[in-house]
Amino acid sequence: MIPSVNLKPLHWHPYIQPVSLADATPAQRDAMQVTPSNKTVSEYVRTLVLDPESYVARTLLFNAIMYVEGGLNRADRELGALGASLVNGCKYCAVVHARRHVQLSENDNVVSALYFQREALLSPRDSAIYQFARRLSVTPSQATAEDIAGLRAVGMDDAEIIDLIHAIAIFGWANRLMHVLGHADTQK
Amino acid sequence: MSDAIDQAAGLTAEDALYQTRRLRPEFVDGAEQCRQSVLRPADSQGLSTELRLALALRMALLNEDSALASDYRNQLNQLAPSAGLLALATGSDDLQEPLATLARHTDMVTLHPHQACEQHIRLLEQAGFTHPQIVALSELIAFVNFQTRVASGLRLLRSV
Repeated sequence: MIPSVNLKPLHWHPYIQPVSLADATPAQRDAMQVTPSNKTVSEYVRTLVLDPESYVARTLLFNAIMYVEGGLNRADRELGALGASLVNGCKYCAVVHARRHVQLSENDNVVSALYFQREALLSPRDSAIYQFARRLSVTPSQATAEDIAGLRAVGMDDAEIIDLIHAIAIFGWANRLMHVLGHADTQK
Repeated sequence: MSDAIDQAAGLTAEDALYQTRRLRPEFVDGAEQCRQSVLRPADSQGLSTELRLALALRMALLNEDSALASDYRNQLNQLAPSAGLLALATGSDDLQEPLATLARHTDMVTLHPHQACEQHIRLLEQAGFTHPQIVALSELIAFVNFQTRVASGLRLLRSV
């Protein structure tokens, strides 16, 4: 047995000035889908909306990849996201998606094993997903046909593997925004 | 209809995997919308499509993705890029400002994103990039690193 890791939520702080709701352009306002009475749009949204077109397109794709019905179960998508975030060094995303994995799987065995570097304790399925996530996240990719064979061996079909590829890849994207444009700590 | 990711992954309409990919139209259409939004947005923020394609080619080469590199090279060549942008696109480090700073940033975020810190954003500011441009460039860099992983994953899935 290993102890349970205690992951406190982090707060993200941008390195550049976010858009203020009062000064937002019509395009930025549309992108945030906010009315002047909404004062709780996150700093993250108000920073990325400096380029409203890519913000909208990415947000729609991100939500589809992480939340769409059917296919790969959501905890496995979160494990792909976590593997990518650990390789890419995005502490903020790693903590957010580790905590989601705990909620969705209703235990912290996987997340504790990863944070205490006891990967050998992972189940064959979790291990296959996690190793593939790590190897696909390196530049250039180190993922191999053996990784795919490993996913098939634990029962994943092509549609589920496509879902997993997208969950890992979208964190190749999200990590390169969150970790590049700001930093995370425990201070509000 | 075949798209940039199919072409990069070598998928045609006859492949079973091409059809399996269509079980997720949100992913297929969403990735294409994103591609447009970072390469050919309605509001360029003062960053030309030539510059965007040059950076995309540079990153495809860093990812050792010859199919995507070929796609970006073809698109870039159609726009008759300057010698400076061609040097940026093909991985040169012998560049004038602000491309030299932009190339160093793009390479770092592509290869070693964990190394990113506040100083890197300040360097982009000092090179003359505005905050909307820094966000737009960050989305472009992050998109190409998404696209290379989807293409790479699909190629592996097709191979076994």
